[in-house]
Amino acid sequence: MASLSEEVLLVVKRVRQRKQDGTLYLMAERIAWGPEGKDRFTVSHLYADIRCQKISPDGKAKIQLQLILHTGESTTFHFSNGSTALKDRDATKELLQQLLPKFKKKANKELEEKNRMLQEDPVLFQLYKDLVVSQVISAEEFWANRLSLNTVEHSLSNNSKQEVGISAAFLADIRPQTDGCNGLRYNLTSDIIESIFRTYPTVKQKYAENVPHNLTEKEFWTRFFQSHYFHRDRISTGQQDIFSECAKQDEKGLKSMVTQGVKNPMVDLLLLEDKTLDEVRDCHGAGGRPTDAPSDQASETSSTDGNSRDSDFFQLPLKKVKLQESIEYDDLQGDSGRKTIALNLKKSDRYSHGPIPLQSQHYTTSQDIINSISIIQHEMRNYKPRLTQVMSSNAASSAITALSPGGLLMQGGGQQTINQLVPTDVQIELKHLYTAAGELLRHFWSCFPVNTPFLEDKLMGHLEEMLQAAYSKFQVWQTRRMMRKT
Amino acid sequence: MFADDEINILVIVLDVNPIWWGQQAQREPQFTLSTCLDSLMVLANAHLVMSRTNKLAVIANLYQKSHFLYPSKQWKSGDEISTSSDGKYELLSVTNDLFAEEIRNLMDRTEVSGSHTDSLLAVSIAKALCCILNLWFMQIAGQDVKSRILVIKAAEDSTLQYMNFMNVIFAAQKKNILIDACVLDADSGLLQQACDITGGLYLKIPQKIALAQYLLWVFLPDAEQRSQLLLPPPVHVDYRAACFCHRNLIEIGYVCSVCLSIFCNFSPICTTCETAFKMPLPQMAKTKKKKVKTAN
Repeated sequence: MASLSEEVLLVVKRVRQRKQDGTLYLMAERIAWGPEGKDRFTVSHLYADIRCQKISPDGKAKIQLQLILHTGESTTFHFSNGSTALKDRDATKELLQQLLPKFKKKANKELEEKNRMLQEDPVLFQLYKDLVVSQVISAEEFWANRLSLNTVEHSLSNNSKQEVGISAAFLADIRPQTDGCNGLRYNLTSDIIESIFRTYPTVKQKYAENVPHNLTEKEFWTRFFQSHYFHRDRISTGQQDIFSECAKQDEKGLKSMVTQGVKNPMVDLLLLEDKTLDEVRDCHGAGGRPTDAPSDQASETSSTDGNSRDSDFFQLPLKKVKLQESIEYDDLQGDSGRKTIALNLKKSDRYSHGPIPLQSQHYTTSQDIINSISIIQHEMRNYKPRLTQVMSSNAASSAITALSPGGLLMQGGGQQTINQLVPTDVQIELKHLYTAAGELLRHFWSCFPVNTPFLEDKLMGHLEEMLQAAYSKFQVWQTRRMMRKT
Repeated sequence: MFADDEINILVIVLDVNPIWWGQQAQREPQFTLSTCLDSLMVLANAHLVMSRTNKLAVIANLYQKSHFLYPSKQWKSGDEISTSSDGKYELLSVTNDLFAEEIRNLMDRTEVSGSHTDSLLAVSIAKALCCILNLWFMQIAGQDVKSRILVIKAAEDSTLQYMNFMNVIFAAQKKNILIDACVLDADSGLLQQACDITGGLYLKIPQKIALAQYLLWVFLPDAEQRSQLLLPPPVHVDYRAACFCHRNLIEIGYVCSVCLSIFCNFSPICTTCETAFKMPLPQMAKTKKKKVKTAN
C-alpha cells in the first residue's frame, strides 16, 4: 500500500510502464509507480536497491528511463506526456542522480564498516563465525549490539582529525595556460576554490550572493580573475566590479588593525629610537645636569623625546615583563620553597620492629646455658670430619622419597597449568567456545531492563534457544573429547 | 658448560648458636653439630668439584658475630699442605682441614655471654654479600658471575634484626644474589621473605639426620639448573603487617596518614606522631532531636 506519510519529491503524470498508463512518484526513500486511477503502487523500488539508471538517447522518439537494480532486474518507464515528456524525464533523471548516490553510499558504507571491523579484529571474526554462521544468533542482533559500541568510539576519533591548512603558494600555483589566442586558461579544482574562499572570505560572500542567481560559476570565476582585486592593483577605479567592494573591505580591516597599535613594546617599531646618553639619563631622572645638546636638536627631538619619555615611562614595566617572559621558563624553575612541617615522631623505634610477633622465648635457665655450651665445646674439641659416615642409606632414601613428586615435601606444588596438559587445538577450541559464551551472556544481560516486547520475546524464546544450542555444542565437544581419551 | 666463562659462588652461612646446638645434642644425640658440619662439608666439596671455577665461602654465625670459616685468615700460602693419605683432590682436603680447624678454634673461644638463644643472621648475610662483591670485582671481563647464599638456620629468629635484615635482602635482590634457606627447627618468617624476594628456595627439613641428602638434592644445583628440576614448591609467605600497638599480625587495620604507622584499632590520636584525627560525628543524634521537636 502506498504509505502517504512519506514525503513526495516529484510526481510525473502520464508515465507508461509495461504498456500501462500511470503516474510516477519519487519519494524520500523510494521510487514508485501506480497505474492510472488506482491507489496502490504496482512498482516500488528503494533507492538503495537501484544500481543505476539509463535514459534513451536524445534523438529517439520514445522518451524512456530505465532503472537497473542490484539484482539485475530492470524497470522501464515511458514518458508519454507529449510536450513535457522530455522535460519530465530530465527532471526525474536529475533528481535520481542526486538521490541515488546518497543511498548507495549508505548501504556500502555500512557493509564496508562491517567488513573492516571483521578484518581488523580476529576475535570478532571468530565470534561471528561461531555465532552467526552456526545460526546461534541472527546477524542483525549481532551487528546491532556491536555497532552501537563502535559508533561512539568512531565519533570521538573523527573529531580529533586536524584541519589541513592552505599552502602559501597556492595562488601562484594556479598558473594560467595560454589558450593560444590571447586568452588565459585557469584550471580550477575544488581544492583551489576552497582555498580561495578561506583566504578571501569576502569572495566567498560574493559567491554566495551572486551564484547561481546572477552569474554562472564560470562567469564568476572569469570576473574574479580579471578583476583588479586579484591582480593587486587595489586602485578602486570605481568600476562596476563586484570585487571593488572586497578591496574596500580589506582596506578597512587593515586600517582598523593599524589603529589598534602594537601591544608588545619590544616589537613596536615606533618606539625604536636612538637616544643619546644624556637623554637616557634625563629620562631616568639621575643627576640634574642640564643637557648640552644644541637647541635645534633639542627642539627637534623634544617632541619625539617627550613622546618617547612618556611612552617609555609607561612601557618600561611592560618591557620588563616581556623580557622576563622570554628569559624565564616556569617549568625549569626550582621549587619555590614550599613550607614543610617536620615529622614529629615520638616512638620511632616502632618502625624497626618487623612483623615478627612477640614470641615468648623459651625459658632457659642459666644452668641450661652453661651445660649446653660445655657440651658443645667438648664435642668440638674432638671434632674430626668423617665424611664417609655422614648418614645412613635409610635416612637418605626416605629423604629422597619425601622429595620425589607426590612426596611429603612436594605437596601443593607441581600444579600444571592447563596449557601444559591439553593439546593446542583443544585449547583453541576451548577459547573460541569461551568467547562465544561470553558474547551470548552479554546479549542476555543487555536485554535487561525488559522494556519492549521484542526484548521480552528475545529473552524468553530466542535466547533460551541460543543458550541451548550453545550448550548442546559444548556437550558434543565434551563427548568427543571423552571418546578421544578412551 | 663453558667452565671458564662462568663463576659460581656459594656462600654458606651456618648458625652455630652453641646453646641451641648443646640442647640439640641432648635432645637428639644422632644429629649434633658434628654431623651438621660433616653434611656441610659434603655439600661444599660437591660444589667445588662441579666446576673448576666454582668458589666457596663459609661463615659461622655466633650470636652477633660472624666468622669466616673458609677462606680462613690463618692460612697463608706457602704453608705446608699435608698430603692426605686417601689421595683426595687437594683442594678438597685443604678446605676440609681448614674448615675443621676454624670451627674448633671458634668454639673454644666462645664464652657464656648472656642467654642468647636466638641468632642474628643479618650480620652474617651482610658479610656474605661483601664477600661475594669482593669476588665479583675480581672477575675477568667476559665472565659471568652467579652467586647464592645458603643459610642453615638452627635457632629462632631474633626480633632485633628486622630492619637490617630487610636491607640486606633488598641489597641481595638488587645484585641478583639468591638467598636459599635450610631450616632445621623453627620456621622463620624473615627467611621466607628473603627467599621469596630474591628468588631462592626455602626448605624446612623434616628429618635432620638426612640433612646431607637434602642439601645435595635441593641446594647443590644453581639457579639455572633448578628450572630444569622438579623441586619443592615455594612456601606461602605470610606478608601480613604487625600492628604497632600489640605487635599482632593483622590483615585489615588503620594507618596514620602522617607517619604511616599501623594500628589495629581506631584511636583519635596517633600515638607515634601525635596527630589528631577528627572523628566522624554520629548522624543519628540530629534526626532524633528533630523528631522530638515535631512531636512537641
